Amino acid sequence: MTNMDCDRLVDYLNGTLSADEIQQYEHHLKTCTECQEIVEATGELPYLADPVEPPAGMKARILSNVFEEEREQDEPPVALKPEMAAIPMHKPKRKPGLWKPLLAAVLLASLLGNAYAFFQLSDQEDAPETAIESIELEPNEAFEGTATAAMIEEEGSLNLVVQADRLAELEDSQVYQVWLIKDDKPIPAGAFSPNPNGEGASYYQLDESSADWDTIAITLEPQAGNELPEGEVILSAGI
Amino acid sequence: MEKTTDTHLYLRINEQDKAALEQLYDRYEKILFSFLYKMLEDRDLAEEVLQEVFIKIWRGKGVYDESKGKFTSWLFRMAQNTAIDLIRKRKKPTVPIEEAAQVASNDAPVAEQVEWQEKKGQIETAVQHLSIEQQKMIDLFYFKGHTHETIADMCDIPLGTVKSRIRLALKKLKTSLHGLQERGAYDD
Repeated sequence: MTNMDCDRLVDYLNGTLSADEIQQYEHHLKTCTECQEIVEATGELPYLADPVEPPAGMKARILSNVFEEEREQDEPPVALKPEMAAIPMHKPKRKPGLWKPLLAAVLLASLLGNAYAFFQLSDQEDAPETAIESIELEPNEAFEGTATAAMIEEEGSLNLVVQADRLAELEDSQVYQVWLIKDDKPIPAGAFSPNPNGEGASYYQLDESSADWDTIAITLEPQAGNELPEGEVILSAGI
Repeated sequence: MEKTTDTHLYLRINEQDKAALEQLYDRYEKILFSFLYKMLEDRDLAEEVLQEVFIKIWRGKGVYDESKGKFTSWLFRMAQNTAIDLIRKRKKPTVPIEEAAQVASNDAPVAEQVEWQEKKGQIETAVQHLSIEQQKMIDLFYFKGHTHETIADMCDIPLGTVKSRIRLALKKLKTSLHGLQERGAYDD
């Protein structure tokens, strides 16, 4: 160990330095080859981990929370025009992994409530917050995949984002089609094809007619653009 | 260096490009989740930390530039530090309360799997060149986030020498890793 700065390497890696000390150490790091090399070698240690499959729907949850956090900062919401209301609601403090099937119905009810609130409020004065909630869809017996549906408010419109994984490959012109169903009447609400990892996602902007629904379902359709489902339901959630 | 594209993504993220953040997420989701699971032994906590990491990146907390070395080193260090913060806040050892880790299915892109396995092989071999005590210290220090006091106790060494011994272990790791990388494909 050659000097005091090198001495701080371990604290630096261990995250125990103050912001000032980090800055000082990083300044030292630029000129100290040995410290640089040790930091880089330490950066290889995560590869010792055994590959673990991430939980279903994690990506949709994390990304919606990341983008939501951004809006909750104190900065003025420049993207929101005054006439575009967002939904006033409690901030969803997420606890990962708690959305077990029994909760799905309750959460779905909450989604619906938000959709109503959104369109009722959009004629009124703007409210400062943004709604994001999400539910898991239940697969049918023959299907192994999972899917998460989330409502995301963005720049004044309400969007339904569906993310699914462990999807089977498609044949010919098949697509996975999302439906919002009200009183047995389905409305197409986005479609997707899986990537090579078997993951797929759709993004659909809701309007007043499509916001009013009681069931969400995904079917395997022989082709895109069907106005009514022809294929079987592979994933669904209802109230 | 292949990681130039990470830097590009990072720059676009700084300009609040959501698609860039998503790409970065896709690229590192699996290794970060697996790494955090190794540290925390709990899937919910690993997800919580992973989310915190991406919130930090999105908000521009902690600044990366190439003078700080490889992007992955920076990213992994941020993940590791965030996990350690969580461990210390909880002030109790992590207990595996969840189901056992699911072993990854083979649906990840082949190139990604191969690169990971190659690096894993190298770093494992490098770690095996360390003494048992040094291996234990790296595990306690890096993966378990233990304090110097705990490491002194667990490795039965004087508190005053913990830091310098960790440094020595890391230095030896670096030297043997370099040796392996220079030799290229190493038969482990």
